[in-house]
Amino acid sequence: MDYITGRPNHIEDYLCQLYSNQWFGWTDSKNKVYANLRLTEKIGVDGNIVNNPRSLPTEQECTDGLKAMQDDWDSKNG
Amino acid sequence: MAQTFLNLAQGVTGTLSTSNYVQGGITEADQWRVTSNFSGQANPITSNWERNDQTFDKIGTGWSQSSGVFTAPSTGIYYIEFTTTVNHNADERYIEAILQGDNGSVTLASSYGSIAIDESSATYAHMTSKAIYDITNTSSNSIRCRISREHSGGVTDGHSDKNYTYVTMLKLGDT
Repeated sequence: MDYITGRPNHIEDYLCQLYSNQWFGWTDSKNKVYANLRLTEKIGVDGNIVNNPRSLPTEQECTDGLKAMQDDWDSKNG
Repeated sequence: MAQTFLNLAQGVTGTLSTSNYVQGGITEADQWRVTSNFSGQANPITSNWERNDQTFDKIGTGWSQSSGVFTAPSTGIYYIEFTTTVNHNADERYIEAILQGDNGSVTLASSYGSIAIDESSATYAHMTSKAIYDITNTSSNSIRCRISREHSGGVTDGHSDKNYTYVTMLKLGDT
């Protein structure tokens, strides 16, 4: 997300809205591209550390999801 | 073992082991941050922690971390500070940043923020929870960080180059 305008500009914005909690991460957090996207092993729920039940979306789903968020933002702020 | 060379005014010279005198300054300082954004609650924040690898390396042994459970390197009295930056593109009445001790069974400190959005876009809030914690047993007195908030769509900010959501630990003295 652009921190000045708030406009979504990265697949991480889409991933955050896909599911809540810390279900994803990056094999290289300084290079957040789809190829480096990974599932986290554990998430914290109600004080318990449990296995992550999620699965990764496809790259196309990420691209399309980000585009939809950008279109929505543009319609409200354009 | 490091040694200090003595050269006193009286002309006495020799070496003195650092174990034989009291050193000043901080003996343990560490800082960890969350590297990725996430939405909703995390109880505790389990993943995507990294030690600050940009502005300094730890002082001393450093804390160990596994699935968001932080264990002190030694017993002692510590100053611990959990800070988070959050955003949301909707109003949110409360967001709580909670610092927990005793492996999550006690709340050491808690702080609240809220968001009233501006211009239909993401708006930010910031909370810091601070505690002084007497760690008498490093295993049972482990700490965790937790985000509790009104809406699942609100985002907690993480970054690998900046401290948005992070925890800082400084050892003040012996237990």
